[in-house]
Amino acid sequence: MKNIISFALLQIACSFTFLPVSQNSALELQGNGGNLIETTCKKTPFYNLCVSTLQSDPRGSSADVAGLARIGADKVKEKATATLGQITGLLTGAKDPKLKMALRDCVDYYNAIIKYDVPVAIEAIAKGNPKFGVQSLNDAANEADACERKFQNQPKFPISDSNKVVHDLSAVVASIVQLLL
Amino acid sequence: MVDTNPFLPVSSSDGSYPTGPQITHRKPIKEHLTIFFGLLAVGLFAALLIGNNGSDNGHVHENQHGSLASSSSKKPEPLQPVSRGPAAGVSEKSNRLSANVNGNLPAYPWNNSMLSWQRTSFHFQPEKNWMNDPNGPMFYKGWYHFFYQYNPNAAVWGDIVWGHAVSKDLIHWLHLPLAMVADQWYDQNGVWTGSATILPNGKIVMLYTGSTVEAVQVQNLAYPADHSDPLLVHWVKYPGNPVLVPPPGTYKKDFRDPTTAWLTSEGKWRITIGSKINKTGIALIYDTKDFINYEKLDGVLHAVPGTGMWECVDFFPVSKTEENGLDTSVNGPGVKHVVKVSLDDDRHDYYAIGTYHEKNGTWIPDQPEIDVGIGIRYDYGIYYAAKTFYDQNKNRRVLWGWIGESDSEAADMKKGWASVQSIPRTILFDKKTGTHLLQWPVEEIESLRLKSNEFNQVSLLPGSVVPLDVGPATQLDILAEFEIDKELLKKATGSNITFSCSASGGAAERGALGPFGLLVLADESLSEQTPVYFYITKGSDGNLKTSFCNDQSRSSAASDVNKQIYGSFLPVLKGENLSLRVLVDHSIIESFAQGGRTVITSRLYPTKAIYEAAKVFLFNNATNASVTASLKIWQMNSAFIRPYPNK
Repeated sequence: MKNIISFALLQIACSFTFLPVSQNSALELQGNGGNLIETTCKKTPFYNLCVSTLQSDPRGSSADVAGLARIGADKVKEKATATLGQITGLLTGAKDPKLKMALRDCVDYYNAIIKYDVPVAIEAIAKGNPKFGVQSLNDAANEADACERKFQNQPKFPISDSNKVVHDLSAVVASIVQLLL
Repeated sequence: MVDTNPFLPVSSSDGSYPTGPQITHRKPIKEHLTIFFGLLAVGLFAALLIGNNGSDNGHVHENQHGSLASSSSKKPEPLQPVSRGPAAGVSEKSNRLSANVNGNLPAYPWNNSMLSWQRTSFHFQPEKNWMNDPNGPMFYKGWYHFFYQYNPNAAVWGDIVWGHAVSKDLIHWLHLPLAMVADQWYDQNGVWTGSATILPNGKIVMLYTGSTVEAVQVQNLAYPADHSDPLLVHWVKYPGNPVLVPPPGTYKKDFRDPTTAWLTSEGKWRITIGSKINKTGIALIYDTKDFINYEKLDGVLHAVPGTGMWECVDFFPVSKTEENGLDTSVNGPGVKHVVKVSLDDDRHDYYAIGTYHEKNGTWIPDQPEIDVGIGIRYDYGIYYAAKTFYDQNKNRRVLWGWIGESDSEAADMKKGWASVQSIPRTILFDKKTGTHLLQWPVEEIESLRLKSNEFNQVSLLPGSVVPLDVGPATQLDILAEFEIDKELLKKATGSNITFSCSASGGAAERGALGPFGLLVLADESLSEQTPVYFYITKGSDGNLKTSFCNDQSRSSAASDVNKQIYGSFLPVLKGENLSLRVLVDHSIIESFAQGGRTVITSRLYPTKAIYEAAKVFLFNNATNASVTASLKIWQMNSAFIRPYPNK
């Protein structure tokens, strides 16, 4: 009996000593559930947005850093697509020519995000050339900025909230991809 | 209104005039003079202080690459023209444009006229879509060959295959069909960068990185399908590929860009491939007899902590004494070896000069404090993934470099293309400094020179801007020399302030001994301008230090383009005048100082200074230095880069 207890204690001790410790290349970190999301998000400019976005996806709890980047990129595309829908909706009802011009320009910027920036980022992460992903996600944030600037002389910026989310989330995911370099 | 301060005020970083006692009522002469000299001293001191805004940050925060002002860490500057000064009878105030901080400018509506102007006339670029790294450059059977990373489907990176072009003179290129596509499991996710080796029997082997179906990075062998075809149109991949897979201890996505091979004293071929261990960049080293079976050497060619992944490693010999290039296998006394790396972390190319120890396959830098990755860059602007080759046709080493865009991807989408290559440069060891390489556009570019204009001993007093009447100014080759009044140099006060181009206020920030140089892609009213200039500072020990900069902050009215100030310290030796060469080719300029000791390449996207509206000026915005400039400026013809007929 004494031996069994000692053996069991030894087993427990061993299992604690050999717990996977995240070190070495940041790339193949063990999916550690919430912990990895939190530590990764601390390295991004918008911690809360990062955590809530990644946790909202079922893949989040078991993803490694590359997987989190992939989830983030998918979310950017999702938010951008929804925002583009808002913009085109506003365009159909718009009468003021200056407002229409601003909205049309934003359509261009959002098309760039959806058709180019996000697909390039996803490909770059998957194929192992992450620097192109960092560049295109930074570009996505810049496209959102460009859209906002189009409304400087307008009384209001109707998609202000969703545009900010697209901008901030792009910056977040760019930081995550940066960790893969 | 009476200008009570006849000397030009120093602009501080927010563009306001220096505050000092406001002269609002008449004071006795003595007090006037005291205040006047006091302001002058303050102004001079402030000018020297302004440069001290942190160290020259060679590590560009990725956020700033091709980014807008809102994400840059430096507060945007109000647009300010370079003042014509009191000498031209114009007071500072009337010259000032309304302060238009970047944040207030609408993102520019790019129209077709502006976008099509951006296409270069004599720089290599495919007819459309995206390009990145140069691959496998070589000279074979009378033709220079150039391959490149290409996306056949879009103006952004992706779906990468090998493009191909040939030229008789490294300038006039003819496009050929794609050399290699992603048709095997071992390169299905990308036919990435590689290098050519020409064997003693004249045959060619090409080693390149493939990203496999599972996105593992492996090295593959390919060779021409028909060695008797001088155009090398068709290529065959070795059926037994891959010939190299990531070795134990190397992450599967940190193993790419094999180099040209060089011979060892045992008659084997040796190559190096970049990788990393944690954050230490390393160059793995392999020997082979047949390019099919490899033995990995223990250890690495070299490693530098903190530099991250080493992409596009290049390794080659340079002669310490001769003015020619050396075949990659050459070694011996009088030969130094260069290690060059492209750093994934900051998107810059670095090199260092050192000694190669053949027996154990290692290399030691001459000066570890400027080791590769932490020291000298090939180019202080946009320049990446560079690769050299030995040109046996003209006995020189030639350098290629990828020049990306610094505008938005939306604009790239609109114009349908992205990226160009630099004009190929010869590489020579700089005997005078012993620490630098000299880069210079290949001489064949001079075949594009048309008519020229010469300007001799143009006097540039402080605050002057001199238009140069050369006709059209979007395709130019400019050679210039600048001499500074020696007396004024001697009299200048020294200080401890360090200057860095990127942390400075650009060409609008006046110092005692700088900035002065050229304004290119500038419109008549200077609302858009790109200064390429020198800035001299004097240390408290009396020693002069020169910086060479390229200021994009006012290059365009558009806000969605890069507005950073590029540049670096420029070694200038006793007795040397300041020399400058600038190639202007629409949306790219390449600037070479001191014969190519320091080089800056930038992409510019003006909205007004295009077509006939683009002009070139000399300027001297220093407060205390008189400069004399002599220049020769050529119009440059197009290189008519086009598809090879009937291919």
